[in-house]
Amino acid sequence: MSDLPKNYISEPGLNGEGVEQPAEPLVLIEMIQRLKVRDVMTSKLVTVVRASPLREVQSLMKAKRISGVPVEEGGRFLGLVTINDILRALEGGYIDETCQKHMSTKLVVLEDDMPLSFALRYFENYHYGRFPVINREQKLVGIICQRDINRALLLELANELNRLESEWVLSKATAQPYNLYVLREFPVSKYDFENAGKAANKIKQILQEKKFPPKVIRRIAVAAYELEINLCVHSDGGSLSWQISNGRAEIIATDSGPGIVDLEWACKDGNSTANEWIRSFGFGAGMGLVNVKRVADEFEIESTVNVGTRVKAVIYIDEKQKDES
Amino acid sequence: MTVLEAARRLNAEVIVEGDAVTHPIRHVVASDLMSDVLLVDDEDILLLTSLASDQVLRTAHIIGAVGVIVVNGKSLPTSMVQVARDLGITLIKSDKTKYGACIAIHEALERV
Repeated sequence: MSDLPKNYISEPGLNGEGVEQPAEPLVLIEMIQRLKVRDVMTSKLVTVVRASPLREVQSLMKAKRISGVPVEEGGRFLGLVTINDILRALEGGYIDETCQKHMSTKLVVLEDDMPLSFALRYFENYHYGRFPVINREQKLVGIICQRDINRALLLELANELNRLESEWVLSKATAQPYNLYVLREFPVSKYDFENAGKAANKIKQILQEKKFPPKVIRRIAVAAYELEINLCVHSDGGSLSWQISNGRAEIIATDSGPGIVDLEWACKDGNSTANEWIRSFGFGAGMGLVNVKRVADEFEIESTVNVGTRVKAVIYIDEKQKDES
Repeated sequence: MTVLEAARRLNAEVIVEGDAVTHPIRHVVASDLMSDVLLVDDEDILLLTSLASDQVLRTAHIIGAVGVIVVNGKSLPTSMVQVARDLGITLIKSDKTKYGACIAIHEALERV
């Protein structure tokens, strides 16, 4: 913290309404969760030092067509000079003074490994034009403005549309009852209780719209929700993917650690490594995997300590699948 | 008995009217442990809980609950109201204890 300007804030405003994600399509929610700030920010930074005159900053802004220049010395992020600071300097007649006296130090920063959804919430809560981005070592690594976000989202949306189009063609060619497109992985962040469960809720809504049998929907939704909560509670972050084809629903949760030491123990009723904080959200009773096994027709789990865990639950929609298995 | 009738019985405040306000309640689950709620297989459940979090509503949606009653006069976060609206779940707030609310609803269901 000592490397940062005073009044540094790294948490989103608690009172802000945030982005109304639930009303957005799952693809978009997935996108803003999957993309990290570092994927979107500008990392080729133009910086100045405290002794730089404001006039130099003004020239830089004009030449580079930017509206904010970070003040940095030896990797230490010290402040930001914005176009408003320059306008005030021109009006006040102190444009030849140094940045040190006039730079903004009451700064809100983003961290590079935050999901893009955090950045969107910051823009909504704080109404700033840009945010400096720091890394875990609290060094300045980039700057992000709304233009960067628009550009990144448009690119991702174009890719997503191409993918959906090709899948749609494929699904038409192999049309069968209860065949749906494959949904790409839905990322789940560690301890992100604000978003955990959204994928499962959306999966249920889609299956209801497609008029799948209610009992099957319930089983798929329970398996997806339990696995999603497990990723949030126990993993270092991972993803939930699902697909429905050939009369069967497959839900797969994959994470990148920490892995399960004793799989047999973890799959037994009531065994859990969850702490009190997790229990305060109503989870961590050690029933998650047990419940997934209960609702699934097929259940597979594999885990390697310090590598990760993969859980697959299959639910038959078509009763014929049961006979064939 | 519907979820709105249950709210009247408890003198409780209906915060969000969801999609299933006319469905009769067929089963009642009272728990603060969502892991346990997810184990229930019954349909048209009314969920009573003293847990005021978004996950209560997400769980209620997964099990197809007709509504959620948050007891003990807990104040509800604004996000919870938004999630209830998005998922179409009736959200009710009651000042009764969980035990008191269970008794009142049991008595009301007995009379139906």
